[in-house]
Order: sequence, then C-alpha cells, then structure tokens
Amino acid sequence: MNKVRGFILAASAALYAAAPAQAQQSAAPTVSVVAVPPFATPDSGPTANQSLGLGWQATQMIVSDLRSTAELMPLPPKQKDFYSYPEVTAPTFSKWRAAGAKTLITGFVQSRPDGRLTFGCYVYDVDKGRELARKGFVVAGNDWRRAAHKCSGVAYTAVTGAAGVFDTRIAYVAESGSGDGRTRRIAIMDSDGFDHRYLTPADSIVLTPRLSPKAVRVAYVSFASGQPAIQVLDVDTGAKRPLLPTGGVSFAPRFSPDGERIVFSMMTGANADIYVVGTGGGLPQRLTTAPGIDTDPSFSPDGTKIVFESDRSGSPQLYVMNADGSSQRRLTFGGGWYAAPDWSPDGQWIAFTRRGAGARRIGIIAADGSGERVLTTGPGDEGPNWAASSREIVFQRTDATRRNQIYRIAIDGSEPRKLEIPQDGTDPDWSGVID
Amino acid sequence: MRKAMLFVMIAALAGSASAQLPGLRKRGPAPPAQPVLVGIDALRADFIGRSGADTVYFGSDSAVLGVPAKATLAAQAQWLLQHPEVLVRIEGHADPSDTRDHALAVGARRAVEVRDYLVLLGVPAVQLSATSWGKERPGAGRAVTVLVR
Repeated sequence: MNKVRGFILAASAALYAAAPAQAQQSAAPTVSVVAVPPFATPDSGPTANQSLGLGWQATQMIVSDLRSTAELMPLPPKQKDFYSYPEVTAPTFSKWRAAGAKTLITGFVQSRPDGRLTFGCYVYDVDKGRELARKGFVVAGNDWRRAAHKCSGVAYTAVTGAAGVFDTRIAYVAESGSGDGRTRRIAIMDSDGFDHRYLTPADSIVLTPRLSPKAVRVAYVSFASGQPAIQVLDVDTGAKRPLLPTGGVSFAPRFSPDGERIVFSMMTGANADIYVVGTGGGLPQRLTTAPGIDTDPSFSPDGTKIVFESDRSGSPQLYVMNADGSSQRRLTFGGGWYAAPDWSPDGQWIAFTRRGAGARRIGIIAADGSGERVLTTGPGDEGPNWAASSREIVFQRTDATRRNQIYRIAIDGSEPRKLEIPQDGTDPDWSGVID
Repeated sequence: MRKAMLFVMIAALAGSASAQLPGLRKRGPAPPAQPVLVGIDALRADFIGRSGADTVYFGSDSAVLGVPAKATLAAQAQWLLQHPEVLVRIEGHADPSDTRDHALAVGARRAVEVRDYLVLLGVPAVQLSATSWGKERPGAGRAVTVLVR
C-alpha cells in the first residue's frame, strides 16, 4: 500500500516538474475541471450497499452544486469510476490527470451504530498530487444532502478561497394572482431549491424578508397593522413579534453581521431616517438626521460601517457612515439614482439598484467608491443581495408582462440565471453559510 | 355574426331586466334611480361627490402639491369640517418605477403632505391619519383620502 502510494507521488512529482508552465497557467482565474468519482464506504455486507447508494446520491449532488458555480466545472460522474475505501486518501492521480481534471474530490459514507452517517470529504490538487482540504461531517441518516452541500463548500473554498453558497438559504416573497388580488407570503428554501416552505399566511402584504446571518430569524415588513411595520420571525418555530412596540411606519430592516442588531428606516412626519435597535428589542438609536429620505441601510461585514441611500443631495445616492452615525460621506456621484445598497460579505463591493433612462439595473461599486460596473440590462431589475461567496448576487426582475421572477448573477459578467421557485417571487435575500 | 351579436344583446337586456324584478316587487312600481347607500358607503359617495375626488396626483418622484391637488383638498377640507365625526386615513402611493423601500418613504411623504395641508385648512389633526402603500398597489403616484369611520 505505502509502496504504491510512494510510486504515485514520485510519478506525479515527475510530471509536475515536466510541466511547470502549465502549472503557472492554472493560477489564472479560469474554470477548474473537477473529477468527482462515486464515494466509497468502509462498511461491509448489506450496510455497504446502502452506504454506497447514499454515497452515489451525494456524489451526484456535489456535481450538481459545483455545476452551478462559475469557477468549477465537474466532469460527469460515472459509477464505474468506483474506488476502494483506502483509495479515498490515496487516489490514483495519473488517472484523473489523463481525464483532464485539475481538482479531485473523494470521500466516503459510513453508517454509525446510532443510525447517523459519517461523511468524509477530501479535495486534491491533481497536478501537484497534493491534498488541499479534508473535512468530516456527522449527519442524520436521511440528511445526506446536507453533507453533500458541506463537501461542495469545502471543495469550492479550497479552489477559489471564497465561501461556498451550497449550505445557505434564500428567503423571498412568493406571489400568486395579480393586481390588487395578488397574495404575498414570505417563503424560505435551501439555495438549491429544496425544503421550500412558507413562513407567513397570505392574509396581508409582506415585503423585504432579510435573513439573520445563519438564517435563524427573518426580519420583514408587514402591512397587517394597516401600515408598513417591521416584524421579526423565528424561522424554526414561526413565532413572530413587532420589532418596535410603538406604531409608525418602519421598513428596510437588515441584520448586523453578528445578528445582534437590526438597522432600519422609520418615518417621522415626511422625514425617513435610519435607526438601529437590538434584535430582541429596546430603545432605537437614531443614526441619521438629514431632512429627506434616508433608507436601505446595510452593515459592512466587520460591523463598523453602514452604507445607505439618501436623497439629501437632491436625488437618491449612496452614502457611507460609521456604525454610530458619525462621518457620513457620499459614495456615488453618477447620473440617475442609486438605491438599495448591500455590502458584500468579503467587504470589497457594494451592490445597488441604479435607476436612469427608463430602466432599473443592478450594479456593483468597490467599497471605496471606485470601479463601478453595471451587471444587468434591466429594464425592471432591483433589490440585489449578495451570496456568501461575494461572487454572486440574487435580485428581482420584473418582466414586460409585470410578472416578477428571481435571478442570480455572477459578478464576472456571465448571464443571469432564473431561480426555480413554485410561483412568482420578489425581494430575494441570501443567508450566510449555516454552520 | 350580426345575428349572434343581436342575440347576445337581447340576452343581456333580458338578464338585467330579470335581475331588477325582485327589487320592483318590493319597492313598488317606481324603481329607485340610484342604489340606496347607508353608513360609510353613503358618506364616501357624498364625500367624493362634493369634493370632486378622493385622490390627488403628484409629479414624478415629487411630494409637492400642485394647483389642482390643492383645489381638491380645499373641497375635501370643507366636507371634513362639516363632518367632524368622520375619521379619514390618507394613503400615499409611489410610482411603480421606484425602488421598493424608497417607494414606501415617498408614499408616506405624500400622505403626510396631504394631511398637513388639510390641517393647514383647519381640519382637526385627530380626524386624520397618514400611511403609505409604497408601490404595492398599481397606479400612478397619488394620495387617496379614505374614509374609515
């Protein structure tokens, strides 16, 4: 065994030495081909068949996860590519090099006496014959999907350095009907579309669900009291309560990166200002005092700054301030309107809706105000929200027939893709990685 | 084709005539020219009839009241002063091209603008409340004075 392994390492080292130019090229931001042969198992007897079956399902799920990314391209999985349990940690790199793969994912499924499953997941650099990452997970017997998503996340992070979005959730407003008779409910699902469920009944208008970082709570706007007011709902229990004890128009909630605070807008007369309050309640602290409309606040990932929209200069533009409201400065100076900013989880970018020339489009700008780029063509796009990877954005698109759909777009400039949801949808929000 | 159309028209007439029959029997030979409204519906009809409109419109992204809007609100104020027992809710709407949250603020601002103008004309503030629909109801940028009680 060790002998064989040594030989493979030597062979791969020789090949690596023979092709240094190629290895340097792979450092460029190109698509990385990934091989994902079916997961192995150390189990024996009938249990082994069961574990191999789950392993094969998990393998296909990982391939489907990676196919949804812009950076990784999985080879179609083949059941005949099976390997033994010891080979999980000692793969035959030459085989995958010949298949054109740059990255290899191996793994195993093991049944535990308590009925749960252990998943092991290993990621290799095929050219270098080197392990990049490994991780083990214990999940409930029926939760192999979760383990597969986590394994996809390990591989994605190992190759790109960014957080994977496979074990995340998306909340949105599900719409049915049209015009005044249309009903709207807050819905939540896993980012791959599974485990879709509704969190609110269809008896009042609801808007802008915003997930806490790990999707434990959702803050949203409800018209149930007769005017728009923020509610906070526990995703698991469904328990909800108003964010503020007093009446008044409140909207545009967003959680702080630690989930402990909620920043939002509240009307005082004709003036909308930004406030912050503890997620559990308390006395709101006012952060802006400018006359006019200050709204759509979003924290920086380190929690020290807030980007927001203000029309204090005449038309809506983006501004940045410290989390206590000090040092307010303007970020955007382009024509038209800038609205609805969201700060990326890696801190680099701010996504926004830009209004102008009869269209709404999604764009991004660096957090220092440089490098503005418009990503979508519109004409009815709005409400961008970042994925945990900081490489993708989810947004709402209203088509020519006034129907609303949800799209995701990579910031590398590729075409937006429609999310598969049961009905029409608006106001999507993407959570951070769950565990 | 023409025949078919004629048939449809006759059917429609027959339908409307038969629909009136129970009413004719109850109220005698002279049917009421207008439906009888009671309570809040009657008040609403009277309010719209005497004020000219329950809705005022705004320019794009603006909460400034124009001359026609002010004339409508003057008539609304007259009526409200004569009906101090009636409470109204002013509902502001933003333009559909606006973004979601900005629209909520614009709608609220328009409703507050109308409320403040009515107060300026002498309507007691306790009779008036203001709220926003943002861009959640289709239609142009406007504020609607809705009688609630």
